[in-house]
Amino acid sequence: MSLRKPSVLPGFGLTLGFTTFFLSAIVLLPLAALVLEAGSMPWRDFLHVVLSPRALGSYRLSFGASLLAASINLVFGFIIAWTLVRYEFPGRKVIDALIDMPFALPTAVSGIALTTVFAQNGWIGRYLEPLGIKVAYTWLGVTLALTLISMPFAVRAVQPALLEVQRDLEEAAETLGAGRLYVFRRIILPTVLPALLTGFTLSFARAVGEYGSVIFIAGNLPMKTEITPLLIVIHLEEFDYHGAAALGVVMLGISFVMLLAINLLQAWGRRQHVRAAH
Amino acid sequence: MSITLDQVTKHYGGMPVVNDVSLDIGDGEFFVLLGPSGSGKSTLLRAIAGLSSVDHGRIALHGRDVTHVAARKRGVGLVFQNYALFRHMTVADNIEFALRVRRMRAAKRRQRRKELLRLVALEGMDDRLPTQLSGGQQQRVAVARALAHKPEVLLLDEPFGALDAKIREELRRTIRQVQRELGITTVLVTHDQEEAFAMADRIGIMNLGRLLEMGAPHELYSRPATRFVATFLGAANLILALRTPDGIQVGGATLAAAERSADAREHEVVAVVRPEEIEVAPARGALTSGFLAHGVVDEAMFTGAVERLRVRLANDGAAAQLLAGNEDGVSAALQVTRSQYEQRAFTVHAGAQVAVGVRRLHVLPTPLSSFTCCATTEALAEALSHQPLLTELAARMKTRIALRSEPQLGLAQAPAGPEAFVGTTVIAAGEDCAVRAEWLLRRGAKDLLVLPARLAAPQRVLIHWLGEAARSATLGMSASVLRHVPAEAVYVGILPDDDDGSRRPPGMRELLDARSEAQAAHGLEIRTELRFGEVAEELARRLAESPAQMLIVGVTELTRFAERFRALLDAGQWPVFLVQRGPP
Repeated sequence: MSLRKPSVLPGFGLTLGFTTFFLSAIVLLPLAALVLEAGSMPWRDFLHVVLSPRALGSYRLSFGASLLAASINLVFGFIIAWTLVRYEFPGRKVIDALIDMPFALPTAVSGIALTTVFAQNGWIGRYLEPLGIKVAYTWLGVTLALTLISMPFAVRAVQPALLEVQRDLEEAAETLGAGRLYVFRRIILPTVLPALLTGFTLSFARAVGEYGSVIFIAGNLPMKTEITPLLIVIHLEEFDYHGAAALGVVMLGISFVMLLAINLLQAWGRRQHVRAAH
Repeated sequence: MSITLDQVTKHYGGMPVVNDVSLDIGDGEFFVLLGPSGSGKSTLLRAIAGLSSVDHGRIALHGRDVTHVAARKRGVGLVFQNYALFRHMTVADNIEFALRVRRMRAAKRRQRRKELLRLVALEGMDDRLPTQLSGGQQQRVAVARALAHKPEVLLLDEPFGALDAKIREELRRTIRQVQRELGITTVLVTHDQEEAFAMADRIGIMNLGRLLEMGAPHELYSRPATRFVATFLGAANLILALRTPDGIQVGGATLAAAERSADAREHEVVAVVRPEEIEVAPARGALTSGFLAHGVVDEAMFTGAVERLRVRLANDGAAAQLLAGNEDGVSAALQVTRSQYEQRAFTVHAGAQVAVGVRRLHVLPTPLSSFTCCATTEALAEALSHQPLLTELAARMKTRIALRSEPQLGLAQAPAGPEAFVGTTVIAAGEDCAVRAEWLLRRGAKDLLVLPARLAAPQRVLIHWLGEAARSATLGMSASVLRHVPAEAVYVGILPDDDDGSRRPPGMRELLDARSEAQAAHGLEIRTELRFGEVAEELARRLAESPAQMLIVGVTELTRFAERFRALLDAGQWPVFLVQRGPP
């Protein structure tokens, strides 16, 4: 007996098989191994590693800075996407290509570059120093690095949605008497909101997982500028595989919960939308 | 007046998309802007709405100058071709949008919304999303939304373009009904002539950025002034004919014209014959209308209410006069449509021999009928006929270019060939050109176009006449040329250099007269300039100021013509149109 209705499109069995196989081999299996590895240690040890002050400090920095970076990208990613979509200017294609640079660069290179510029004697750092602003080797530097490497996700998520906002809609609103701000709030924003949330989610996810660029600019002071991925590496270097796995499981858990929350928020938004219609 | 446009001009990349359009639309009038795509009609509508700025001219709504007022403060309602409904809002929110912007109270908003939904026959649809409605319903919502804030003017930009035929008809009726009920001034933009006929109080026809003609639908159809309007509004046969004191002569036949002409001289004209005004009969004697020629039916097609025939004329003289119609432009066959009644009276099949009669014939007032390239040899004339500006003009005018060789062209005392000069004679610019021009003008060529071999497409046409007798002919010719060339028109008034000031007032008056006559008699908007000096020199100087200019000059008497115009014509840089009229 077949479990599914016959479909017009052939190849369902084959493609589902491949999907399951690849997801298992590449995503689920390693994750399961991670959980198993962590699960093989006693509860007390697990809690000891996971709730140590140093670990707690690193969570705060990792997730806090990532949220902050994603929020910054939400705003500025939107502005960049807007500029690229809405205006014709010389060099637009070049800027459009530059957006993807953080993708292509080895993250360590980004980290070194940022450190050079923002260190106390760097190009920008030396002017910030007298103002009492320290970027390199503080949480500010961490946020900066995370913002840089996750920016393309925000821009690229919003761009197609903005392209889809028809000029006609804005013009219609304009002839109906709406000002620029009103048009933005009531017409443009609602149309691109799902894309904005997606961009935020992607940015956040990318930032949480970032390691390479941060370690150069963070200074890596325990409790202050140490991110969780670095703590995991430190555990690994001490051959403490269990400890590393335990921290990994915690990151996995928190990330999963946050992504799920954002997805639920989006789904809820869509439902509100449809309910308003009936 | 609800909407007043005064010399509205808009350029894109140097090309005028809306070219000097002046227009008055009355209170409660339903005005249709009709034209092919790219004619500038949508740009003009957007300019009225305030969504697109204008480079020159004024726009007033109900007497208030709104040229520089933002769209949201103009108080217009605009309906788009693709509806442009806010997809994330319900029908109710869409309709109330303009009211919310104006902070109207909820209860009043609801009341107004109910009113509008009743008006467009969509009661009870308040809570639907646009995606849950059919195309026709969405457009009704868009109309209701555009009317919510009680605009003074309703603008519709091809509102039926995306709908199928049946829905289109229904929506047309709804919009017309709503418009009558509210008495709101409405401008509709379309490329569909049937739609224009069905809805308009008045139609304005645009092409190449110019508003060519306006008038009531039946007037424009039966008495078009330009060949573009004649062929764009329905099908038309264009026939080159000779206006004689007896009537309109085509080939060997002479027909009566529907209207009289002010021009007494015998000259070539373009006649318009609608396909339904043509009669076919088995023999000449059976015709109830004026006989045109014998012919052979090329094709007979049944299309329901009417039958379409293509008739090839057998009489060579008449066939040669037939210009390619607007349908295919390949074979010059006469288009005929016949009613069921006519079909029953006389059944024809392809290949049948018939006699062709014309019931009604309309003569276009345009002085540009056909071109004849004239040179000392046939080969040179042939070469001249491929000049790009000339071929483009002829193609746009759907007219023909004939060749004529005059071996003795320009030789003093030598006579011209036996045939009379008809239409516009074209000669090449360059050496001896002024002498040749005078030679032709003295031997009966009235309209003469002097063309350089290579030139840029003219963006400005300068107009001048020497002598009042040539004034109206020059303006008429200018209007005709400008209908086919997207350029601006400038009348150049020239006063003698030694002027002590006493001739200035008449000079200024002449400028104003030129402008108002151009507008009143030909619907042509022109600008004016006043210069001082010797006429031919001053014109040459003005032409030299910028490239891509053309000159149309009216002349009356030919004394010392070649001498005076040698510098201007022999330079061979600018196209010059010479129009000679005046005492014989």
